[in-house]
Amino acid sequence: MSVIAEKRKRLSLSQKFSRLAGRLRDREWRKYGGALFAGKILGVGLVLLVMMVVSGLFFTHVYAQTGTPEVKAADVVNPVNTAWTLIAAFLVFGMQVGFTMLEAGFCRSRETVNVLVECVVDTCLCGILFYAIGFAFMFSHGNGFIGYHWFFLQNAPATYETTGVAFLAVWIFQFAFADTCSTITSGAMIGRTDFVGDLLYSFCVTGFIYPIVGHWAWGPDGWLANMGSDGHFYPALGMGFHDFAGSTVVHTIGGFIALAGAIVLGPRLGRKFKRDGGQPMLPHDLTIAVSGGLILWFGWYGFNPGSTLSAMDFVGIGRVATNTTLAACAAGLTSILYGYFKMKTWDAGYTTNGFLAGLVAITCPCYWVSPTGAVLLGGIAGVLVIVGVDALEWLRIDDPIGAVPVHGLCGIWGTLSLGLFACGQYGATGPIAPDNSAPLRGLFYGGGMQVLKAQMIGSACITLATFGVATVVMHVVNAMGLLRLPAEDELYGMDLHEHGISAYPEYVISAIGAPGGMTQELPVAHAKASTAVSSLSRAVS
Amino acid sequence: MIKIEAIIQPNRFDAVKQALIDIGVDGMTVSEVRGHGRQKGHKESYRGGEYTVDLLPKVKIETIVEDKIVEAAVDAILKTASTGKMGDGKIFLYKVEEAIRIRSQERGVAAI
Repeated sequence: MSVIAEKRKRLSLSQKFSRLAGRLRDREWRKYGGALFAGKILGVGLVLLVMMVVSGLFFTHVYAQTGTPEVKAADVVNPVNTAWTLIAAFLVFGMQVGFTMLEAGFCRSRETVNVLVECVVDTCLCGILFYAIGFAFMFSHGNGFIGYHWFFLQNAPATYETTGVAFLAVWIFQFAFADTCSTITSGAMIGRTDFVGDLLYSFCVTGFIYPIVGHWAWGPDGWLANMGSDGHFYPALGMGFHDFAGSTVVHTIGGFIALAGAIVLGPRLGRKFKRDGGQPMLPHDLTIAVSGGLILWFGWYGFNPGSTLSAMDFVGIGRVATNTTLAACAAGLTSILYGYFKMKTWDAGYTTNGFLAGLVAITCPCYWVSPTGAVLLGGIAGVLVIVGVDALEWLRIDDPIGAVPVHGLCGIWGTLSLGLFACGQYGATGPIAPDNSAPLRGLFYGGGMQVLKAQMIGSACITLATFGVATVVMHVVNAMGLLRLPAEDELYGMDLHEHGISAYPEYVISAIGAPGGMTQELPVAHAKASTAVSSLSRAVS
Repeated sequence: MIKIEAIIQPNRFDAVKQALIDIGVDGMTVSEVRGHGRQKGHKESYRGGEYTVDLLPKVKIETIVEDKIVEAAVDAILKTASTGKMGDGKIFLYKVEEAIRIRSQERGVAAI
């Protein structure tokens, strides 16, 4: 790293950029830069503090009226709907335990502490970001692509839009959804991601990618939600994009960011793929993994029915809860049967990912399908997820928990299945009662291609945009040398290096008999994985 | 004094332990190990991938006995640990130079 030339000569802009790139790679310069930046932020903060204190002490204030309160004491509907939304929000947050257990169980014991700490820190980071900018980008008014009100939840009304539900109750409900998406993304990147890199990409995902892309489908003026109506995108279609609880918005987005990350990262050291005579690395605790999956199922009872934001639509919430159950049951069965047909064993990993795939698939169409439809589309998801797992294995992408096939692939299937299975009886939910004046009717019920086309457009746009942006983000973080752990640290032990402790410090847990369990350098014959890793470790050292 | 090291199938362990106690062997050290001889291992499957497990779980029994009961001990192990199939294990005999009881500092045969 050369510092300064003898004579001070003027550098051109491109020379300055390459000097910056060189400095970004150097740890000393990064620390120095970080200290400078922190100092500047402190300085700005002090100036603002002084401004506030001075004006507070020496000048009078005029407070604007915050608006007439919309929640009246005699009103029963809003409190009931708010209570329902909050119960659902707490259930969805309970899915965090499920995710933590699922991810920890399916990975090896040497990377477990990293999974645990990432899950906790991602949740906390998500909360702060969603309060500061996420909810504003996603759910406030702005334009079709992004919202620009309510930053830091300022100047917000008492209730959210026409739902009548308390504004902050909607905030926490949507925070739990954002947290789910952020946890999905870390799933395919287990075991070899630098912790700082995880913080950086989580910041981008929760702060920007998820809220902005989600605005398109769920924002009050989102361009996909309003598609097909006059004055908006593609009015001739006559149909907007529907995603009841987020097969696309939460699961496809999460799954494809995970895919981008897994591709840029490369596989864990020692991972041999089936094509090359290897197999997936064994899980270290199936008890935790499967129990975590069941806790996720339980939390899904808040995820789907809660998305009505209305207990007054009692028929709706009953139907959604039943559809959710049936899709999960069907998928759990078809996945384990297909697995037995393939491998002659009743595979625990297949059936867990199976029922999760069914849950992901039903998440979009749950309001509009009949119970029979739920069984059918869930059953298909159970087979699709296994095909996806095999496809990733064939593509040499190391996805320890199957996040991409479960969330990405079956999220797309669930979204498209609305266009097939929407049964033509249900339209929109509402705070007092449902509005079934314009029901959604899918292809299998004589509704033609209209809904299916809208779903295909929405799913394709969101998937491609998400995957594209996420790939860029991952490459940028990787170029800073912060995405992948250096090879020698991964060999030493990820938990010990990043967190200073192993998951089971009292036990000698030996992976000596488990194939791929002990991290080791691959022989030169498996050039694909090892040259990628060695070039990465050369780049970061 | 002879050290008998027997590597046996885990499911025969209780029978072997009882047989050794019956002939008067007072002490033993038991550990769970992995290994293989000429037995090739077997195939298992997870998430669509088949893998060969060639380090198989075994139980290792180490016990120090007096010269005069070595034959009886070896016979006892052979009778109870054998299933007739590949993977039954092996017995190794080593000469022991000295044995010392830590509590009383007795040496030799009095220590075992």
